[in-house]
Formats: sequence, C-alpha cells, structure tokens
Amino acid sequence: MSGSRSLLVLFGSQSGNAEDVASKVGKAASKYGLEATVKGMDEVTVSDLASQKRIMICCSTWGEGEQPDNAEDLWISANAEDSPLMSGVNFSVLALGDTSYELFCESGKEWDSWLEAKGGFRVNNRVDCDVDYEDLAQAWMDETLARMGAVDDSGTFQEDQVEQVKLNASGADINQSKNSSNAESSSVEISTDGDRSLLILFGSQSGNAEALAAKFAKQSSGYGLEAEVADMDGFDLSSLSGRKRVLIVCSTWGEGEQPDNAEELWIKASSASEGLLAGVNFSVLALGDTSYELFCESGKEWDKKFEELGGTRLVDRVDCDVDYDQISQEWAENALAAMAAVDGEGIFHEEMVQAIKDSMVSGSTGASGEDGFTVPELRSESISAEISIFRYDPNTSTTGKDTWVCALPGHMSILDVLRTLKSTQDGSLTFRDGPVDDPTTAISINGRHVLPGNLRLDLSAPIRNGGISINIEPLNGFEVIRDLIVEHWDLESKRESSKPWMISATRQGLNTPQGALGSMSPLVASKLHSMMDIHSYPIIHASSDATAYSDDYYGPAIIVQSWARRNDPRTAPSKKKEIEQLLDSPSGIKAETDFSSIRRQGKGSIIHDSLLDCKTSTLARDGFTGRHGKHVWWYAFTVKSSGRVNDTVLYRQVLGPIGLFSNLFSGVTARMVLGFTRTGGNMINDMLAFVAPPAGLGKMPKQFNSSVKNHHEVVAIYNEMDGRF
Amino acid sequence: MAIKYAYHPGNVAHSGSPEVAESMIPLVKSLGIELTYLDGATSCGAGIIRQVNQRLQLTLNARIFAQAEDLGLDILTPCASTAGNLSEDLFLLKSNPILLAEINEVLMKTCGLEFSGETSVNHLLHVIVDEIGLEKIKPLVVNPIDFRVASYYGPNMQQEGFCGDDDIYDPNYMEQLIQTLGGHPVRWDSRIQSVGAPSLLSEEPTVLRQAASVLNDAKSEGAQMIVSACNLSHSVLDIYQGKASQKTGLKTNIPVIHLSEILSFAMGHYNTRYAQLRTRVLVIGD
Repeated sequence: MSGSRSLLVLFGSQSGNAEDVASKVGKAASKYGLEATVKGMDEVTVSDLASQKRIMICCSTWGEGEQPDNAEDLWISANAEDSPLMSGVNFSVLALGDTSYELFCESGKEWDSWLEAKGGFRVNNRVDCDVDYEDLAQAWMDETLARMGAVDDSGTFQEDQVEQVKLNASGADINQSKNSSNAESSSVEISTDGDRSLLILFGSQSGNAEALAAKFAKQSSGYGLEAEVADMDGFDLSSLSGRKRVLIVCSTWGEGEQPDNAEELWIKASSASEGLLAGVNFSVLALGDTSYELFCESGKEWDKKFEELGGTRLVDRVDCDVDYDQISQEWAENALAAMAAVDGEGIFHEEMVQAIKDSMVSGSTGASGEDGFTVPELRSESISAEISIFRYDPNTSTTGKDTWVCALPGHMSILDVLRTLKSTQDGSLTFRDGPVDDPTTAISINGRHVLPGNLRLDLSAPIRNGGISINIEPLNGFEVIRDLIVEHWDLESKRESSKPWMISATRQGLNTPQGALGSMSPLVASKLHSMMDIHSYPIIHASSDATAYSDDYYGPAIIVQSWARRNDPRTAPSKKKEIEQLLDSPSGIKAETDFSSIRRQGKGSIIHDSLLDCKTSTLARDGFTGRHGKHVWWYAFTVKSSGRVNDTVLYRQVLGPIGLFSNLFSGVTARMVLGFTRTGGNMINDMLAFVAPPAGLGKMPKQFNSSVKNHHEVVAIYNEMDGRF
Repeated sequence: MAIKYAYHPGNVAHSGSPEVAESMIPLVKSLGIELTYLDGATSCGAGIIRQVNQRLQLTLNARIFAQAEDLGLDILTPCASTAGNLSEDLFLLKSNPILLAEINEVLMKTCGLEFSGETSVNHLLHVIVDEIGLEKIKPLVVNPIDFRVASYYGPNMQQEGFCGDDDIYDPNYMEQLIQTLGGHPVRWDSRIQSVGAPSLLSEEPTVLRQAASVLNDAKSEGAQMIVSACNLSHSVLDIYQGKASQKTGLKTNIPVIHLSEILSFAMGHYNTRYAQLRTRVLVIGD
C-alpha cells in the first residue's frame, strides 16, 4: 500500500476547510518528490495508517472539542485496545479550530498526542489555527512537506536534507515574487480539471453500434476523456448544445432508414434551428451494409445534420461495411485523439493531435485495459512562464504589478491561467470571467488585445530561453475599475451618442416571387459585412493608441461602425448627412493620431483600411481647411515641390504665427535650435525654420530643400494621380 | 564582403533629424554595409499622403521600389516610420496583381519605370540582427554604452511581416543590440506605443499626452536615455518633451537619441558628441 515516496494526507473536516487544505497539500507534494494520496478520515482504517511512512493530518474541531463527523469512527478505532502501533510513521498535524470555543483545536491535538503515544515520529510540530487559518496553514504545509521530503525511502527522517529538499522544490516548480504587493511566496498548482467530458451517442438496431460505443468509451479514458454513452432513444436533443465533444455511432436499418431507437431524435433534429450545435465538436461512425442500396444512410444523415446545426466536424465520417472491426477502430483512434485535443473551453488544438497519437503509440507506461488496450499517460508539456499582472485597488487608489514565475501547461488558455492564479495564489485577483468568446473579457497581453479564453499561453508571446514572459494589463483607453476589469460604459455611452441606428432610405426593390425585396451588390454587402463583423468592440476601441489620451475621441470601433452605416446603400440621405457630421467633427476620425497602431491588432487591417477611407472622405469634404486639412495638403504639396517633405513650410503653414509663437515660449523652438538633448548635427536648417520661416512667402526656397533626382517624374505622378496639388 | 543595399534615409533625415543621416555615414562603414543612395527617392508619405490619396502614395513609393529594383538591391532605412510605410505599400502591391498593374501603368507613363516586386524593405535594426549578426557587432564596440537604455520601436514597423524575425508585440532585437553594445536594456511597456507623430501638427494636445506618457514610462522604469529606431518619433520625443511635460505635469526630461547615433558612438565615431551625451546622462541627469 505504501510506496517508497508515498505520503498520506488525511483530513477530518466538518465545513470543508480541512479538506481544502489537505487538497492543497496533495497538489503541492509532487514538487517535494512525494506521491500524495488525499483521503478523508472515513476512507481509511487504523491499520492503513500503520503501514504508512508519512502522514499529514488536517483536522478541524467540531462543537465543544469534538471530532468532526467523518473522523469519529476512525478516532474510536484508534482508541481501541488492540489498535496497532504507529512506529515507523512520520507525522505532523494541522489543527483547525476557533478560539471562541473553550476547547480550541482539540481534535487536532488529540490526533497529535495519539500518534506520538503510538510511537510515531513527529517531523514537524503541530500548528493550531484560528478561523483566519490560511497563512499559518500555508507555512505548515511548506515546512512539513519539505520535512516529509527529507524522510528517506527506509522511513528515516534526514534533517540535514530538509534545506536541499526546499531548494529542489523551489527550483522544480514555482517561485513567486511580488513587485508591489506584500503577498507571501507560495506555489501555483495548476488544475488539470476542466471539462473533459465526451458524449458517445449511439443509434443501434442489432446492438453493434451500442457495443462499439461502449468500447470507445472505455478507450476514451486513456485519452484523458470522461465518456458518457447515451442511447439516442429518449435523448434530449437540446442538451447537445452545451457539449464540447460528441461522437456518434449509428447503424442504418432497411432501405436507408434510421434505427428504431434513433427515429424520434432524428425527427427532432430535422426541425432544430441552426446554431443549436455551435461549439460542438463531433465525428460520426456510420455502420451499414453494402448489399443495400442506401449504404450507411443514417450515419450520413447525422453527419450532415450536425454540420447544418453548426457543429464542427473534427474527423471525417467513416462508413463501415459488415466487417467493421478494423476500420471502426482506426476511426476511433483518430476521433478520440481529436476529441482529446479539444481543451476545457471547447477549442480544438489541431497541432496537439499528432502528439496525442504518438503518445498513444509509444505509451507503454499506462495500465492495461480490456481488449488488450493499453492506457498510456497523457502528458501536456509545461513551459516556464513569468506572468506580470497589473493591479489596481480602488479603495487605496494604488497601482502596481504582481509577478509570478511558474510552470504551466503550454496549451492552457490565458483565462485558465488567470483562474488558476486566482484560485491558488491570490483570491483578490480580479478579472472578467466568462465564455471564451465573451467580448467583455478582453485584456491586453504585451500590448496585444485579446479574448483570454481564446489564446493559448504558449502562443501569447515568443518563447525565449525556454520560457515565456507575459505582461497582462487591462485594455487601454478605458477606466480601470479593479485590476483587469475596465468600465465599458464610456464606450457604450459614446456609441449611444453616435446614434448608430439605421434610418432607412425609401428604395426601389427587386420583384421576386416572394414580393418586392431590397437588394445590394455582393461587393458592397461583402465590404460592409467585413467592416461590421466586429466581435469585440472594446478590443477595436483599444487598438488605437490615441483613445487613452483623447477623452472626446469616439474611437475606431464607433467610427468604423458609423462609416459602414454611412456607406450602406439602405441608409437614408438625411442619416448619411448626420453621420458625416459626426465623422467630420473634432471627435471623429480627425482625432485619430496614428493609424499604424490599429493595423497590427487582430482584424486591424480591415479596420485600418476603413478608417483610412473615412479620413480621405472627411478631408475631401473639408476642402483642406483647418489644421488637419492644411497639414495633409501642405505635406503632399511639399513632396510634390521637391520630392521631400519640407518641415519648414509645414510648421509655418499649419501652425501659423500663433502656433509658432507658442512653440517659441514652450521650449520647442529652443530645443530644436539648440539641439538641447541631441548631440550634434546641422541645426541651421531647423533654426531658420523657426526664426525666419521663409515658406510664409509662398514659394519653396531651394536652398532649404533641394529636389530629388528626376524631380519631374514626381510632378508627373502628381499631375496624373491628383490634380488638386 | 560588403552587404549592399539601396538607401532611403527616412523622412526627416535631411531636415528635422540631420544627425541620423550624418551618423549613418561612418556607421555603415564600420558595419561593412555598402549603401547606394536612392537620389530620386521621395518621402515615404509618412502615412499622411495616404490619408488624402492612397494611390498617389502607392505610386510614389512604387517609383522608389522600381529604382531599387533597377539597382538590383533591397532597401535599407534607419527610420521605423519609413520602414513601416514602405513595407505596407510594398505588401499591398505584391499581394494585389491588379493594383500593381494599374500602378505600373502610371509609373510607365510618367517615369518610364516598372516594378515587378523584386525588392524588400529593411530597417537598419533588422539588417544588423538578422543579416550581420550580433556576434559580429561585439568586436566593433570601442565605447561601451554603460547606461540603462529604453529601446523605442514605435508602431510602424511592429507589424506582421515588417519586423524581421522579431516579435510584433514583444520585440527584443534592440534590447539584444543594446546589450551587445555594453548597455543595460530596460523593460518597459510603451516601447511599441505610438507617439502620434503623423498628427503632431494637427492634433497636438493628444500627441503631447501620448509623448509624455511614453517618456514618463521610460523614466519610471529607470531608463537613463531612450534610443529610438524612428526618425520621426525621435524628433517628437526629443523636441516636444518640454511642452509635453507642461501639458501633462509628468516628468519627461530624458535624452532621446537615434539608434544610428548610439551605434556610431559605441563604434568610436563622434567621440565629442558621445562625451556630451555622457555628460547629459551622468552629470545633468534629470
């Protein structure tokens, strides 16, 4: 029962606290080189205890010093006359209690005394905790695990090895450092839980499909899946919508008919609405007989229907004849590997499939199952990650960053990383949790705006020196409420004030058999769709580096939405006029200072191109008046004049005398003339630009901007492409 | 054997940032790069001409590409804005044969040139790290840059396909280079943020806030100077830092120099200027 590195973690728990601590101990044990088993005190006998080399007990006290319910029987057995000795058992006890009771931590104290009296060796002193137990429990756990790790294979405690064990543990797993907060160092234990469920649905006439479904269910555990086999008869179709993984094994009856137990479900599926199975990953094994005209027809129908209802086919359907053993097994191996590559959030990681198959082929370490099937261990590679997270506490108005260095599975989503850190490290960490495609969960990772449920850790940043370093921040351009949560109201308020609703034009429709219908050219429809196909408005809003610094700016999300509405042929002329006024206003497209930061984000190039079109349109309507118009016009004009931009002219014409005067007194001119921080170079051109701006005379002076070679070509291009300059 | 490139100095190297054009001359000699000046090259448009007429900017830049193609050379520029803008237009032309044909028609009619897509645009930084190799830079260092340096990339060249093998959001080419020069790279958040250079004259209040934020972030992270890969942003961050501080109340005073300058200083050029910089950093400080 007791392996050489085994550790038994026992909990006697009434409210669940002791169980929680025991669970943490169990998870942390591996980095101390221990193989932990966590059990309730009602799951073991006293004899079991006697055979252990290492026991850690977490025990609460109930009422007036009583044992918790699940410990009572064991305590009675332990105090029986014939109870075995505990010599050879290394132990330590964490006692949980409440000082407001007279007998504080009495149960833990009893177990501690009993083990000692029975000859056990106390490797670490008992710790008694009050209701605020977390810190003390953590300290006890760290120290005791290190000491248990120093118990050698023969069961002898080697005190001189304790420090080495601690050192190994800190190197093997996780160090935590906090830059700005004072939280104590502790370890991250990554939960590999998450949804691993697989539904295997069978439609069977003779029993073959059912038998196969049962066989595949057994095999699925080797792939880290928890399979449930369900008969199509009486199955609730709507319950499929919450599934992430579904396999269908279905035979065909007679001339292409559904088997009896599938008929009713098929009728329901035939009238189900599109999108019911969105997010469902599936594959179909069809059983049939080639001697019939419609071979495997039922399976084909299910395959098609699942796709129509929005499901995602991970592995192509396989149609089996009566000799189906080998071909069905091949399908199962492919389908199970694919299903195993669907993570807890339902995201399919195609690149993992081959690795899973390989591990199945080479996996000889697992236990043997029925049918000669070997169940290997399914491993996911961990990577070293340095994770810095922005923190903001609104109560104290303090900001800072917390940094964790940890080893995590590379395929873990960033959302799962946050969840893990919250559950194991810092419960106060605040972020928006939700489905993977929830647009409000958006955050920034190294300046990249993402939905955290959709991004794998190992794809979130480049892997350097074997590790990954990510900096998680709230989206910029929004007010931060706490940590990673931002206030979206400002964006929504701006969107509301932009009056995004449609006011339709009266248009002539097309005559169709269904009556008169409005129409739109496919090109226009496609362009509008690509502009409006925005999954997360907060992400688009944050993609501009200007939104955070301009309170009035509507931001790219609203601008592009308005621009699309402006170009929609269904929009009434009066509404188009209203939209143009918004776009041309100081809070409109002119407030965007640099399109390039938008271009690099996700869908940015479409947004970028749309905004650029919008700016061109605004400038054309403005007739190059105002600073924006002058800036663009004079820039283009000076390039036409010499091939080079002439900043002498540009500053003079755009800023005007008042603007230049402002620069004179704000130090800009001085810095330019004197090269205050720069270290040399010819300043004479700059100086002349400000002290004696010649461009005000209206003619480009050659001495300040010589023309490029073959300048006439530049002029010719301008004349050909844009006669306005 | 020298590596050959067609040279585009960047937008304001001839005016607002003459020190960039100047320092490039001895620098490329030290690096073993042979530059052929594109004497007929126009401004890249700085993303500004594009706002009024995208096809006009595309045609002007296609003319630059055709000139480099005639020389049989790829383009090198020390300016991140120019690298980004040229790369964007090059990508558009290469990915859209119909557009390329239409632009070529104008090019042929106006200049007698045609661009077939056989050139590339490279920033000095990517040439050094990807082509030359940092191991060849180390022996060239005469004056180790013993400062805490914040590397500024800006947004223009940090785009998919425009920044060599570096990461778009988490670049580290410049940090590696600074380390090779003996400096101490500072990790800071704002290194790929825009300072709004294309709108400096038209949206000054916003641009000043953007610039102040970037400058202040570098200072907050302990940097003693900023090294910029962009001629335009370099000018904004330097010249406008006082005004940015007045506008925002943030501390913004920090030396800002261009990548080509810090490289040439490290390789023993302009020792007097380097001494001035050291004085600025070590004596005057903040």
